Amino acid sequence: MATTIERMRNIGISAHIDSGKTTLSERILYYSGKIHRIHEVKGKDGVGATMDHMELERERGITITSAATNVEWAGHAINIIDTPGHVDFTIEVERSLRVLDGAVLVLCSVGGVQSQTITVDRQLRRYDVPRLAFINKCDRVGANPLKVRDQLEEKLKHNAVLMQIPIGLEDQHRGVVDLVAMKALYFEGDDVRTDEVPADLREEAARRRNDLLDAASMFSDELTEAILEDRITEDLIHAAVRRGTIARKLTPVFMGSAYKNKGVQALLDGVVRYLPDPSEVKNVAIDRSAESGASAEVVLATDPEAPAVLLAFKLEDGPYGQLTYIRVYQGRVEKGTELLNTRSGQEIKVGRLIRMHADDMEDITVAAAGDIAALFGIDCASGDTFTDPSLNYSMTSIYVPEPVISLAIKPKDKKALDRMAKALNRFTKEDPTFRTFVDPESHETIIQGMGELHLDVYVERMKREYNAEVETGMPQVAYREALTRKVEFDYTHKKQTGGAGQYGRVIGYIEPMAEGTYEFVNDVKGGRIPREFIPSCDKGFKAAVKKGDLIGFPVTGVRVVLNDGQYHEVDSSDNAFQAAAIGAFRQVYAKAKPQILEPVMKVSVEGPTEFAGAVFGSINQRRGIIVSSIEDGSFSRVDAEVPLSEMFGYSMQLRSLTQGKAEFTMEFLKYGRVPSAVSEELQKLHAEKKARESK
Amino acid sequence: MIKKHLITRSPLRVFEDATHGGPGKGAVAVLASPKGVGKTACLVHIATDKLFQGKSVIHVSYASRVDYIITWYEDIFKEIAKNHRLRDAVAVHDEIIKNRVIMNFKQDGMKTEQVLRSLEAMITGGKFNAETIIVDGYDFGLAESADLVRFKEFARRMGLEIWFSASLKETGGASFGPDGMPALLAPHAGQIDVLVTLQAKSDAVEIRVVKDHDNPPAGILPLKLDPKTLLLIVKE
Repeated sequence: MATTIERMRNIGISAHIDSGKTTLSERILYYSGKIHRIHEVKGKDGVGATMDHMELERERGITITSAATNVEWAGHAINIIDTPGHVDFTIEVERSLRVLDGAVLVLCSVGGVQSQTITVDRQLRRYDVPRLAFINKCDRVGANPLKVRDQLEEKLKHNAVLMQIPIGLEDQHRGVVDLVAMKALYFEGDDVRTDEVPADLREEAARRRNDLLDAASMFSDELTEAILEDRITEDLIHAAVRRGTIARKLTPVFMGSAYKNKGVQALLDGVVRYLPDPSEVKNVAIDRSAESGASAEVVLATDPEAPAVLLAFKLEDGPYGQLTYIRVYQGRVEKGTELLNTRSGQEIKVGRLIRMHADDMEDITVAAAGDIAALFGIDCASGDTFTDPSLNYSMTSIYVPEPVISLAIKPKDKKALDRMAKALNRFTKEDPTFRTFVDPESHETIIQGMGELHLDVYVERMKREYNAEVETGMPQVAYREALTRKVEFDYTHKKQTGGAGQYGRVIGYIEPMAEGTYEFVNDVKGGRIPREFIPSCDKGFKAAVKKGDLIGFPVTGVRVVLNDGQYHEVDSSDNAFQAAAIGAFRQVYAKAKPQILEPVMKVSVEGPTEFAGAVFGSINQRRGIIVSSIEDGSFSRVDAEVPLSEMFGYSMQLRSLTQGKAEFTMEFLKYGRVPSAVSEELQKLHAEKKARESK
Repeated sequence: MIKKHLITRSPLRVFEDATHGGPGKGAVAVLASPKGVGKTACLVHIATDKLFQGKSVIHVSYASRVDYIITWYEDIFKEIAKNHRLRDAVAVHDEIIKNRVIMNFKQDGMKTEQVLRSLEAMITGGKFNAETIIVDGYDFGLAESADLVRFKEFARRMGLEIWFSASLKETGGASFGPDGMPALLAPHAGQIDVLVTLQAKSDAVEIRVVKDHDNPPAGILPLKLDPKTLLLIVKE
């Protein structure tokens, strides 16, 4: 089906855990005719919801990866991108938000705006994503959608406007009154029955409709005039609400119960009516061919005839090989289109192009600007940008944060070893913040990532998807060492005890640098060190910075400048110069006054104001710095910077301090210097460990 | 230049010399001017000067967003560091921002009692040993006289210096009493120990001490605001 761009929607569904996001996604697929049986989350029938196609997600009831699913509704093609909500998955969140043009914010009619709702709303706001609200679970005891609308206004600062009011709540919940058409909608089986507004709701419906007209008329002079002249049409209201929504100045509020099949069809109508099509959203890329200093941002044209620009936002292993989910931002791709991977510089040719419908797929011939599709048999990493070979754009920033936590893992048996390797290979491709290596000393496999939960999820996925069971060690904070001053070195490596000798002398200096981890500058003049041995020196220094002498963690921010040296016609070799470089670094490292750095997290604690004092205290205890506190009525948020090593067990402490009423999120901020007391303690522990190992 | 000189050569020493050592512990000071003259910059400069002295500051904002205030601090710090060729600027910066907390409140619907409760929680619960509190964006038009009494009592009890900014009506339209007291602040005059006004004149912003505890006020100070950076500088 070729869809014109006006009839395309790329949306995400965002929510606090347990607001019924997965159930809602499932119902949307059902009503749009793509699946024929409704599975429940944590499926009693053992099948599970279609969107969460990873086993693990089923078990936890949370959604981790961003699968894209295409559905049709009222002549529109809607791509639903499943968005992870947890902050630990920063890169995944960022990628899935990039490909959205609009979102449905799901709220629980009992729980209302919860801490995670605030987090996901903030993320959507950061990426300027227009949103609709859906107040779910109106069948629950204590359901109060009107209160939740107030919270949207008070806590999230949305200009939240009711598009509907409920007909009955809790076990009496039967449907909604559509305030635009002024009709009652009853959801019976798979059908929607339209009827007169019940008599007892007429007065309230009229009042709420006036509120809606007031809010909508802010965005349309035509509607304002029509109201005055008493010739309002439904189309005028829709157009005004749409304008307000796309400008992110109005949030239309829908309601129902996905579980009880109430309100889903009306929400889908809202999605196509009020959320933008891809041409109404501004997308920018970074032009990597622009000269440094020039403004490198370019606005992309949602035009199928322009040169192609697309983003690979998700990889998946399917039975037929790697599946690469793409969003086309500009131009189009067809079978045979030649594309440039602007990260790797590799050119590829598009083979099979498909569209995903939950668990089955459809071959398509073309994907044009605005569309989401998947490619088969393309070797790339998640987050790569593909362009027409005439361009060199990047859709994502090149910056990838360094992992802050590591965990040793050990396969339970020989079989698990191979499977583990396969899984790790896949994960590192999917997620640049997930790394793995084998520790040369302990021979353990180490995985690294952005937080405890981040690593937990991968350990679980190894078990579920790859049948590789592993044992895990204690999580370790990824410390770093750094120089604080420039020191000169002059080191000779010499060995002449029988046989071939070894000789190499290196002269130069090492100094701290603010950005980057390692830089090697060759400033040797007049062939004092022959050109073929320069890379040997670089290699030696590179090896040396892998482990600092303080606590054996990598040394970061080092610039090595080599400006002189000496060699021997016979005895100099690659090995000799590598050894000289290592020796030089070791010799002067202590003189460079190294210090230990630790990952510092940006921590946000949200909860009732009454616990502010307890929260301030808990952060102070953990060597944290409070950056700011924001109070708005009874709600408060504290932003702080806290070392990761002090954050273990914080969720438990916070729960007990605040009777479970406050919650926190954290993400990596920077590497910061550890205080001297902590530094001494770490060095002592390291010395003890070394002593134990040498025994 | 090293940090010590930054303190001794600060234009704020001129202000302190003219006001018998500045507001001091337990005092309430107000910096008043029409909108857009440079109050926030001036307050941030005062706060930064305290931070350079190793003191802790709580910056209370009733209006602006936190990131906006942080930007003010960053800009003022950068200007000072640049003007004085501060050595180890990054290290000094990292050191002093540990001693600054920004607290953001909404004035409507937020009682002064609750604001003070949270401030006290930060100082005692959070063990944040503040000596100066900067209050920016407080609307004196909405303030009841009891509110200022509460702030004053809090300053005394906790041994703090509190600096307010007060936004007067449009340029030229602000009315002043014969003693130079802006009409807006007259109801609270009893609680204000030190009052400084900023007035935009044709060539520069004029800084005048209108009230100085029970001492005769010093009047126009030999200071002005640098029109480019909004930093306080000594008049040439």
